[in-house]
Amino acid sequence: MLEGDISGPLALIGYGLAAIGPGVGIGILAGNAVQAMARQPEAAGMVRTTMFLGIAFTEALALIGFVLFFIAGG
Amino acid sequence: MGELVAFECSTATDVVCKPPTVNELFELPTVFTIGDFEVTRQILYFFLAVLVVWAILYFGLRKASAVPGKFQLIVEELVGFVRDGIARDIIGPEGAKYLPYLLSIFLFILVGNFFEITPFVNYPITSRMAIPAMLAVLTYVIFVFVGFRKNGFHYLTGIVWPKSVPLALRPVVGLIEFFSIFLIRPLTLAVRLFANLVAGHVMLSLLLVTGFTYLLVEPFEFTFNPLWGILWFLLGIAIFLFEMVVAFLQAYIFTLLSAVYIDSSLHPEH
Repeated sequence: MLEGDISGPLALIGYGLAAIGPGVGIGILAGNAVQAMARQPEAAGMVRTTMFLGIAFTEALALIGFVLFFIAGG
Repeated sequence: MGELVAFECSTATDVVCKPPTVNELFELPTVFTIGDFEVTRQILYFFLAVLVVWAILYFGLRKASAVPGKFQLIVEELVGFVRDGIARDIIGPEGAKYLPYLLSIFLFILVGNFFEITPFVNYPITSRMAIPAMLAVLTYVIFVFVGFRKNGFHYLTGIVWPKSVPLALRPVVGLIEFFSIFLIRPLTLAVRLFANLVAGHVMLSLLLVTGFTYLLVEPFEFTFNPLWGILWFLLGIAIFLFEMVVAFLQAYIFTLLSAVYIDSSLHPEH
């Protein structure tokens, strides 16, 4: 059952690769944000806003991969 | 496999019906036509979203009293959230000028996103690229316009020839900054919203339709069993709750980034 050629658009693998970097990045970012909030709970609001901003910028690469998936795999 | 798709397809052939492509989830049939203009359900939902936003603001603040009722309290909370949490925190005192725009896009995206999990609507209008793209273009026009009006031509020269960077690096940094500000910013702004809602809609459709299909299956050994349907449904409900968070978060992030971009045009030095 598992024999045979693997088929499907290569763009799928491309998107998977594009998601690695942002995945690691967002993990580090959120982890450090939690640490900052735990150490200084009074700054939690500011840290949270900055965290969302950071996540939004880090996500950009995965989003470009997502678009390329639609363009190349379309 | 015949049982799984029996209520739609002929089981006479041994070919199980070809599953629909993702596009079929997002291309709804035409309801009626006006001339050459085909009105689909999405367009009706679009106008419904506009109407809902208008109704929220109108009925929430029509008879604004010093002791707010429940509904007025919620609306005031939303307006205050955008005014204090986004406009004032990010842009500063000048932020009040941009509050009407930020509040409009926030509420519109919020309502559009919540259509995804509204019963009988179940379709996020922001999952069609046209709407996020148009909103991103609006933000783009505003922040570029504000940048040029506030700083004159120095807005552009400050980006492509940043004074705070060592001379040798200026062309490289300038080029990266130019592309990131004028190309990547509007693109990612639109795609972030679009991608999140597409992913959510596909996930919900897959889980709930699979659950529904399994519930209709005639029990056959272990693999075709209505019990699996319950499992899929529970997973679907978990994702349903998760999508509520996503719907709010994406509206928040879109508005937050719009504010950040406008702020970076107003105060380009930091």
